[in-house]
Amino acid sequence: MTGHVVWHGRRVAFRRGESLASALMAAGVHNLGQAATGQARGVFCGIGQCQNCLVRVGDRLTEACLLICEDGLIADPDAGGRDG
Amino acid sequence: MQNYDHDVIIAGAGIVGAAIAYHLAIAGLRVAVVDATGPAAAASGASDGAVSVASKKPGPMARLANASLLYTRDLAATGPLAGGFASRPAHIFGTGGAEIAAMDALIEKLAALAGPVRVVGDGPASRLPGMGAGIERLVTLDGEGHMPGHKAVRAYLATPGITPIWPAPVLGFDSDDRSVTLRLADRSLRAGRLVLALGVSTAAVLPGLPILPRSGQLLITDRGPPNELSGALTAAAYLVAKTVDAPTVPLSPVVLDPLATGQYLIGSSRENHGDPGTVDFATLRSILTRAVSVWPALRQRRVIRAFAGVRAAVSDGLPIVGPIAGDNRVFVATGFEGDGICLSALIGREVALMLRGLAPEAGVAADLARLSPSRFAPALLAAGAA
Amino acid sequence: MADAAVLIVGAGLAGLSAAISLAKAGISVRVVDRAPRPGGAIHRQPLPGVRSIASPAQMRRWAGVMAQVERHRARIEILCETGFGGLDYHGVALLTGKGVALFHPRALVLATGARERVQPRAGWTLPGVTTAGALQSGMKTTAEAPKGRILLAGSGPLLLAVGAELARLGSPPVAVVEAGRPFSHPVTAMRLPWSYLTEAALYLARLRAAGVPVLTGHHLTGITAEGQELLAQIEGPKGSRSLRVDRIGLHDGIAPNDLGVPDCPSIPVVRLGDCREALGARAALADGLAGGERLAALLLGSPPALATPKVDRERVAQGDLAQIYAHDGLKYLATQPAETVLCRCENRSLADLRALGPDPTPRQLRLDGRFAMGACQGRFCAEWVGRLAVPDHAPLMRIGADRWPAQPFTIADLVDAPEDV
Repeated sequence: MTGHVVWHGRRVAFRRGESLASALMAAGVHNLGQAATGQARGVFCGIGQCQNCLVRVGDRLTEACLLICEDGLIADPDAGGRDG
Repeated sequence: MQNYDHDVIIAGAGIVGAAIAYHLAIAGLRVAVVDATGPAAAASGASDGAVSVASKKPGPMARLANASLLYTRDLAATGPLAGGFASRPAHIFGTGGAEIAAMDALIEKLAALAGPVRVVGDGPASRLPGMGAGIERLVTLDGEGHMPGHKAVRAYLATPGITPIWPAPVLGFDSDDRSVTLRLADRSLRAGRLVLALGVSTAAVLPGLPILPRSGQLLITDRGPPNELSGALTAAAYLVAKTVDAPTVPLSPVVLDPLATGQYLIGSSRENHGDPGTVDFATLRSILTRAVSVWPALRQRRVIRAFAGVRAAVSDGLPIVGPIAGDNRVFVATGFEGDGICLSALIGREVALMLRGLAPEAGVAADLARLSPSRFAPALLAAGAA
Repeated sequence: MADAAVLIVGAGLAGLSAAISLAKAGISVRVVDRAPRPGGAIHRQPLPGVRSIASPAQMRRWAGVMAQVERHRARIEILCETGFGGLDYHGVALLTGKGVALFHPRALVLATGARERVQPRAGWTLPGVTTAGALQSGMKTTAEAPKGRILLAGSGPLLLAVGAELARLGSPPVAVVEAGRPFSHPVTAMRLPWSYLTEAALYLARLRAAGVPVLTGHHLTGITAEGQELLAQIEGPKGSRSLRVDRIGLHDGIAPNDLGVPDCPSIPVVRLGDCREALGARAALADGLAGGERLAALLLGSPPALATPKVDRERVAQGDLAQIYAHDGLKYLATQPAETVLCRCENRSLADLRALGPDPTPRQLRLDGRFAMGACQGRFCAEWVGRLAVPDHAPLMRIGADRWPAQPFTIADLVDAPEDV
């Protein structure tokens, strides 16, 4: 393990070069929030095609499966288009 | 009853054709709507859905838009547009002499119309939380509205008595003193009257009609918090582009339209060609550069689709509505150049009255007369002779 | 533009082999890929310091490609963690991420590989349900099997490959539910290339050794969540049963991943590998090399390279595989509960599709139905919506014309992108 990201306020360990999706799944986190449509967010295709694993990093939504972890990265579930 | 396939055939299942079909159907006529592709397949489906009086040129267009807005509200209150039309505020922003002057002209125009659209705020942009710095002035209007074109088309066409016929490209028509025949690829249809509401394609069936395709690029973002913005944010440069004959627009005439889905529709360019495939990063970048300066929260929104729609512009800036010269069986309703959504309710009602040989509703006759194709009669006749 | 690089999207087998052919012909290329390392889906590379789980044959193939890339490194630039927003009418490409730029290439090669086809089923949007390919790429990256009880379901040879990999990494799947009956076509199977048969035999041996049931002629028809568990409903010739698991990997074949790139009249655009025709790894390599040679000939005005017999052989083999795996599982699509989601992006269901009435036009499917209108551009719903909406026609692989972007980009990406022309 080379560091931790903060997912929804919880520290999750990751390995160097690992995607956020990979680190979260290794930690048993499958539910990545809820889209504005009401659809549950989660990893589906795992390679950036399906747009199902979008998570919030700062003020943008981004694919968890394409986001490479960095120590201290703060990511949160999509909150269904609502703030927070 | 004559031996027709239909009392009236409407060629074109866009917002204008659909509104005419609705008004004929509720009057008990048998109506067919023919389209090369299907409902809302061209400009009506690519549009932002603004029902805006503010953006109309003073004179007939502003007065007709005003009347159409009032009638659209009626149709939304009790009729087919329930759920399709929503009233919402409109925000006009501007910076620099030309835009500030356009905003002054807007306020003057709205005062003269004395219609439902009223200025409810005028001052620094900071009145609206979330606006970017460097915007000089913001005018907020009450009373305008929003109506997604495809929803309105679907609602109108659901009326009993309307026969949908698509996909069926219109090849041409022939008319005599008894009937009019519309030629399709695999058959012909006979009717008492024909309305050509084919938007930019109308000129293909009626050569000589001075319709100019004017393409506009748009893009749409992914979903975010809904109601971040209460109504569309429109650059005053857009008013300049729409209301001045030979505009020299100082800044990008951007419009940011917040959709009910929490998405933004952002547009649009005005390009004098009809190729909807010409979408390019340079044009979108210039639109977006101004958009993010006005509404910085857009920066982190993701673009999920970019496309172009082709509007049907007319050489003199007015739509073409009415019977074609020398043929009272064939009517035209086209050339709305992006104002079709706004004017469709009124035009639908009035063209239906024309087709039934009835007088226009009070107060619009003079302005409607200005839209008559007869103003181009020499050009049309020349094309017919050729 | 003559001296600009050719832009290649995708640093997998097809993209890099095209890069090699072009570089050999003296043409510079810029290869972009969203992943942190080249490899694509087939040769996805492990995390730094993690041992690859690839077979010796796979490792040899990839090492061969990378050696060629190194040999021609002067003409091959590879930008990883770089996205491709699209190519515009004038031939300008938007690159995002680490290699962000507005770039005017001499030509574009799309080598974006395949997408997985996954037939919609009740509950397929539940967290914990992924594609089988997602499980596989996770294993290739971390060399570890996912935790918990795993079920693989759908149809196609990938299910056996993923199942065998899970078994080898110590977490054999609860079962492999295969809609087809691939073992009931020995005559067709014997036409397959020897390497296909040895590969399949290896997978089956691993599954058997781990005691994994391979349920052929069975269909996973629905999934429900019960607490943290997933309950999978399985229909077979002898009735139905349910299985309680933690993870489900779905897969119903592959198709080209080439959406979101409208025609461009300004520069040559070619699709190579699985992105052109989903024929798998062997074809991707051959197609990339040959396609790169053809493009080089076009750009240099020299006589074009000719046939690609290897690709033709793979097409025959994939046709035989399709016969071997043919099944009637499509009948479960229309009989799913009305609330079953078809479009994951916009959360649109079977009921929403039916509400459009009979014979909806593609435009109605999009505007009124909101199908293929979400961020994935219909990659995962268009085929199934097309099959349901126009059952008598050949399946639509897309609904309406292609529109940008190839993948979503932020407005800041475009506004701030430096011009690199």
